[in-house]
Amino acid sequence: MKIMNCPLNGPRNISEFAWGGEVKPMPDPGSLDDRAWGDWLFLENNEAGVVREWWCHVPTSFWFIAERNTVTDEIVKTYPASDIFKERVNFAPPSKTSGTEKK
Amino acid sequence: MASLTNLDPATLKRRSFIYRKLAAAGAEFAELNGGAVAMRYPARAESEAVTARRMGLADLSVLPHGGFKGRGTVEWLTAQGLAIGADSNKAYAQSGGELAARLAPTEIFLLDSLQGTGHLIGKLNATWQWSPSGPRPQQGYPMPRQDSHAWFMATGEKSAEMFSKICGVDLRPRHCPVGTIAQTSVAKMNAIVIRADLGGTLAYHLLADIASAEYLWTCMEDAVAEYDGRIVGLAALRSLQS
Amino acid sequence: MAGMYRLSAPFGAWIDRGKPVAFTFEGKHIEGFEGDTIASALLANGQTMISRSFKYHRPRSALTMAGQDSNTLVQVGDEPNCLADKRRIEPGLKIEGQNYVGSFEDDKGRFTELVERFLPVGFYYKSFHEKKSSWTAWEPIIRRMAGLGKADLEADFHHSYYDKQYLFADVAVIGGGPAGMAAALSAAEGGAEVVLVDEGAEIGGSLWYARFNVDGTHGSLTRAELESAIEAKRNIHVLNEAVCTGLFADNWLPVIKGNRLHKLRAKSVVVATGSIEQPAVFRNNDLPGVMFASAAQRLVRLYGVRPGSRAIILAANDDGYGAALEMLDAGISVAAIVDLRRAVPANEMTQAVRRAGIDVIAGHAIKEALAGPGKMRITGAVAAPIAGDGKLGDGGRSLDCDLILMAVGYSPAAHLLHHAGTKFAYDEASHMYRPETLPPHVFAAGSVNQAYALDAALADGKRAGWLAARDAGHAGGAEPAAPVDLGCEGVTHPWPIFPHEKGMDFVDFDEDLKYKDLINGIADGYDNVELLKRYSTVGMGPSQGKHSAVAAVRIVARETGESLHRMSVTTQRPPYTPEKFGHMAGRVFEPERRTAMHHRHLELGAQMMPAGLWWRPAFYGSKSERDKTIREEVQAVRTCVGLIDVSTLGGLDVRGPDAAEFLNRMYTFAYAKQQVGRCRYVLMTDNAGVITDDGVAVRFHDEHFYVTATTSGVDAVYRQMLWWNAQWRLDVDVANVTAAYAGVNIAGPKSREIMKRVCSGVDLSAAAFPYMGAAIAEVAGIPARIMRVGFVGELGYEVHVPASQGEALWDALMAAGGLEGIRPFGVEAQRVLRLEKGHIIVSQDTDGLTSVWEADMAWAVAKSKPFFVGGRSAEIQARKPLTRKLVGFTLANDSDPCPEECHLVLKGEEIVGRVTSAVRSPSLNKVVGLAYVHPSDGEPGKLFDIKIDGGRRIKGVVTKYPFYDPDNKRQEM
Repeated sequence: MKIMNCPLNGPRNISEFAWGGEVKPMPDPGSLDDRAWGDWLFLENNEAGVVREWWCHVPTSFWFIAERNTVTDEIVKTYPASDIFKERVNFAPPSKTSGTEKK
Repeated sequence: MASLTNLDPATLKRRSFIYRKLAAAGAEFAELNGGAVAMRYPARAESEAVTARRMGLADLSVLPHGGFKGRGTVEWLTAQGLAIGADSNKAYAQSGGELAARLAPTEIFLLDSLQGTGHLIGKLNATWQWSPSGPRPQQGYPMPRQDSHAWFMATGEKSAEMFSKICGVDLRPRHCPVGTIAQTSVAKMNAIVIRADLGGTLAYHLLADIASAEYLWTCMEDAVAEYDGRIVGLAALRSLQS
Repeated sequence: MAGMYRLSAPFGAWIDRGKPVAFTFEGKHIEGFEGDTIASALLANGQTMISRSFKYHRPRSALTMAGQDSNTLVQVGDEPNCLADKRRIEPGLKIEGQNYVGSFEDDKGRFTELVERFLPVGFYYKSFHEKKSSWTAWEPIIRRMAGLGKADLEADFHHSYYDKQYLFADVAVIGGGPAGMAAALSAAEGGAEVVLVDEGAEIGGSLWYARFNVDGTHGSLTRAELESAIEAKRNIHVLNEAVCTGLFADNWLPVIKGNRLHKLRAKSVVVATGSIEQPAVFRNNDLPGVMFASAAQRLVRLYGVRPGSRAIILAANDDGYGAALEMLDAGISVAAIVDLRRAVPANEMTQAVRRAGIDVIAGHAIKEALAGPGKMRITGAVAAPIAGDGKLGDGGRSLDCDLILMAVGYSPAAHLLHHAGTKFAYDEASHMYRPETLPPHVFAAGSVNQAYALDAALADGKRAGWLAARDAGHAGGAEPAAPVDLGCEGVTHPWPIFPHEKGMDFVDFDEDLKYKDLINGIADGYDNVELLKRYSTVGMGPSQGKHSAVAAVRIVARETGESLHRMSVTTQRPPYTPEKFGHMAGRVFEPERRTAMHHRHLELGAQMMPAGLWWRPAFYGSKSERDKTIREEVQAVRTCVGLIDVSTLGGLDVRGPDAAEFLNRMYTFAYAKQQVGRCRYVLMTDNAGVITDDGVAVRFHDEHFYVTATTSGVDAVYRQMLWWNAQWRLDVDVANVTAAYAGVNIAGPKSREIMKRVCSGVDLSAAAFPYMGAAIAEVAGIPARIMRVGFVGELGYEVHVPASQGEALWDALMAAGGLEGIRPFGVEAQRVLRLEKGHIIVSQDTDGLTSVWEADMAWAVAKSKPFFVGGRSAEIQARKPLTRKLVGFTLANDSDPCPEECHLVLKGEEIVGRVTSAVRSPSLNKVVGLAYVHPSDGEPGKLFDIKIDGGRRIKGVVTKYPFYDPDNKRQEM
């Protein structure tokens, strides 16, 4: 069983963690056309190499980020999500032109 | 077995989820914090303190425990007079014998001393209140730990070895100094383990989902059996402290 | 003395002659000593045949005496396939042979050998490749022949106590032979915490039985010295009689000792697993009496058992000469040493043998072993001159013997290194594979690493132990030098294979594969060793190629003209030795959750049902009266008052200045303007606009919402909330307080009267506490969160209290409602009640694709919010035509049977949907349900087809819901 280093709890058996998908910050939904939104939602890069992923330490529900090599399965480094997500995210009120197609 | 004067836990409002098991094991209960705590097991041949120094298991679920979480928690608790260090996953002893377990930068789990007076936790819960609207101080939010977590204690020289059967974190004394917290998986449950020796006796608090208390207790009874471990009462734990 | 073939001390170092142990084998009374294995005790008593082979049922006996082969599989009580050469005897064991028809001694199955040509290599491929019908013919025969041992689940079967334990080390040393012992000492001297794992009853490995010098003292002296040094080290923890079965990521090592699986985690690992002696291939090389030289030495030295009276040693190295001296010491005469080498090197050992008068026949091989009727034991051998690789010349000699010891070479016991992904190279000088590149934090020492000479093994262990300690952060002193002369040349013969025209020249003992089988497999086109393995099953038996893999590679290389450099033995995968299911299962750790009121339900006779990890009452009464009971429970709620435990419902405290903003983003509805003291429905969608959960948000303060979630969904909802806010950074705190609150729903027209009796601090009048109202108050003196919500559509209150006081709440309400006849009701009645009201259950009435539009829940979507999770996708979905729609339905002909969940909804012949819920409503006395139908059939009054059991079609009628009390007057009383 692999070991993963949790930024809060230290090295633990990987069975204590849940995978949360690649880190791909959400674009402003109001500024994308339908196709671009669909692409962001459903398409994954599936890169061979070092990728940034969400991982959750289940006993503490602590989400953090791991950089993992998908070829060697080596966990390169881990750090808190706040290292990337530093600012409060706000959404603009819906404008009548949101989306490219009219209802 | 049970004497007529023995307290029936079901006559009190606060009840440990495993009070039936404790009663079946011959516990003599005493009232504490609105509930019945297993104080001693009178029918035993061996002194409970001797058992506890080897491998003891106790249920402290009715003893006061609580906590605060959210932005400003540590600042507010510090302002209330608690001594809390900078490191997460460390438990900090308070002047009244309570423990402030820092689970995360903004999360504190409070355990009362074995006297169970509830002075500190009661005072903090009474002091905390929603601030009136407008700019508000950062003070965290109270957490219903009394009811979310069953509180067990494993004591004695064999307790670290016992844990290695149900927990993947290295809790051996040399690798887990007093005050160390492990938030991990115990018998496939999310749990918090805190090393907190009693006098010179190795001991660990074990905090886990109250709804699985019976399951976890059964696992623990199974795990301690190899070391001739047994259930002990609160009185025995108190005696180790002095 | 237990057994006529016993030797006296000092032979038999591992047995205690003072402690006889009696057991039975095939009903016969056998006596051995404490410390004996089953095999050693049987051999000591002259019971040579221990097992029968898989395919041809040939008699088999001890081969390795190290638990590495499957020649000695026996049935011990209810446990099949025990390794007789490993398992210790215990008083009263009942042991049986395996794999025979009729009796063990007179096995009818042995005649399979006569029809061996009908069981060609690749039998399955050939037989079942084309004609399906051939399976019908073969199946009963195969089922009778296949499998080993008896798993009798009825007779006296019991679960044994198996468990697991974690172990931690800086350095794990696997293998307690000379190299492993030296490595452990060296690492410990550097300050590392060491765990030393060894299969033997006591550590020492070959030092216990191998002859390292002429008088045989060197091994035991070295062992004693190392052992006392190890005993003196407090930081070496020895696990003997333990086997490490794998080497996994980040040095996770399963170590089996007895009924316990240790999960050993080490910073670095020294693999000092030694090497495995390899057989020679000749006719009848599998019969009782043919064994490895090391096996005979183990029998003599460890167990004090004389394996025969007259031996021939087939040698290709000096170890065979050591074995010869050992046999002489044990009183066994040595008829000859047949040496594959043309020239026997002159050294102390070979000269001592010659001095002892043993006939050395150089440049010869054994052409065949001879055996009497029944082949129960060999009686002699024919030695013939080697004419070329694998070819024997004319002539030769017949020799009488009852024992043939094979000492023709070794192969590294490299399994763990294979597991870790080590690359191996074929070494032309030693004729063995050696580890080439080791993975990080893994080190190899001793003969697994080509260090064969004792001095070399010790030096190699010292070096590897030091390196491993340094790798784990403990370095002391200078790095020890690597051994100069490994002594690996001249121990392994490159071609100890001498096929016989009459066959029975076994390459694989487990699978009864002969030389010709491999040749035929290659001729059939399976000329790659990995393909040949799967086609012929070579190396696929219980010993996993420990004795056949190298021979198979040699044969393929020769047949294809391929170089051994470019090949490798077939991949060795964990486990190194067979593991039991008991080891993998360990204790049963299946957490289950019980509510505070669990035991009250049991006392009331509830039938409990699982809901995720929780247990919930299904209904209260006997199973035989299920339907009647559920109807009565429904009736009680509709006409009087019922009480249901809803503690399993998810509960989340969402607190902070951004609490309302956070809910606005997480749920489809709008919460900014929700009043304090009021409840509002919550519906969650994921980014793709699919419904994932629902519940109620109760606002107790401007900055505090108490949000409920479904029993099975709350953990995922909580995790999603934290995940989103890790990105949004709103000033809000989310806490999962599910288990902290016990809850009940008291529902029915009489619920208010009862609540009034027990509540304080709250006005329960309809005006002050209306439907969807909420308050914090006391119920029976217990602090409570009270909500007027309800799934069931009657006047009712949901009461949530601290979990540790939940049982007291139940007791108080049951007592307070005694006058009205309050009746507990279970999940089954609740499901009926909610369906009468047309409330959906997320994940029963929705699936992994259901949008808010399909579920007809547009009312729950706030139109003017900047954002909610799933909103962008919902907006796109809204512009596309619906493909299905969730509707309420009744039956056109109510005498039709009630449809079941997942019965199909058809339009013509096309499947357009399915029934998600349906029940015969006790309150309305007709079938009501929910179903997905074609959008064109979505309006009330439309008819649609439901295909029920047996393929019959019935007509559903789309019906507006709630079916019961459509104006919701009752819940708003």
